[in-house]
Amino acid sequence: MTPDDDDNPDEESVLTSLASLRSCDVSQRRAGQLRRRCHAMLQADSSLKRVPWTVNGALLRRHIVPALGGAWCLAYLLEIIRCTAAIYGYFGMP
Amino acid sequence: MSRVTASRVITPMVLHDEQLLVARLSAGDTAAFDEVYDVYRPRLFAFLLRMTRNRALAEDLLDDTWLRLARHATRLLPDTRLGPWLFTVARNLYWSHRRDALLEESFVPELTLWPSPAPWPSPFDLAAASEFERRVERALAILSPQYREVLLLVGHDGLTPTDAAVVCGISPQALRQRLSRARAALAEKLRETPAVAVFKKGYAT
Repeated sequence: MTPDDDDNPDEESVLTSLASLRSCDVSQRRAGQLRRRCHAMLQADSSLKRVPWTVNGALLRRHIVPALGGAWCLAYLLEIIRCTAAIYGYFGMP
Repeated sequence: MSRVTASRVITPMVLHDEQLLVARLSAGDTAAFDEVYDVYRPRLFAFLLRMTRNRALAEDLLDDTWLRLARHATRLLPDTRLGPWLFTVARNLYWSHRRDALLEESFVPELTLWPSPAPWPSPFDLAAASEFERRVERALAILSPQYREVLLLVGHDGLTPTDAAVVCGISPQALRQRLSRARAALAEKLRETPAVAVFKKGYAT
């Protein structure tokens, strides 16, 4: 079947009939509740965006934790190098 | 054959307006959210209700859809098309729920003894103002979900085939073929279900 097969007038009217189906909605109360929840979420998220250095979950996860981890690894590596160098007498007597 | 005049008004957003709205949404503008919410909430709910045939479930999925927009609003790309974005989220939530439900039923066969989540008459059957509309609703309800979703997206929600293809995650060519088959299937179902039979079946349980 190809896209050109949709010339059947009966099928065409079927598609048109779908457009006439009525719409419906949730109750006003439920719509209002959902709107308020979304507003709260939107405002919370945008306020965090406006203050980029606020410590939030994403900032902590993406930047602060990797930076602290990296710094600790670097310090550990430097300390090993220093100890090794000290053992072999590069910095004087062990 | 009588037809009900639709009270639904499709208000497709002009691209420029939509980009402005996306920018305002990204800035956390609640008025922008309200504009989008008022335009798309009934359309999304009607789509979800016709897909799930279960009002409570449709309401839950609608909540999840809008909460996702609120959660991701600040990270929307400037060229985001809100209609297809929302329908994609709603559709994915529906299919995700459907997969979970099928999985549960396959593991716990006793659950199938409980009433199916597609009780008849549906809210649409009860609310339908005309016999023809009831027939269309009934025929639509017994189509496969894949056919139903393309018919609803293109025929009822006014999405272009290209946008509907994005929503369904398939190529436009595949969507056109699926749409063509879905139209034929719906026409067939309508021919098979004369008005009286629809009425009797619809209110039998």
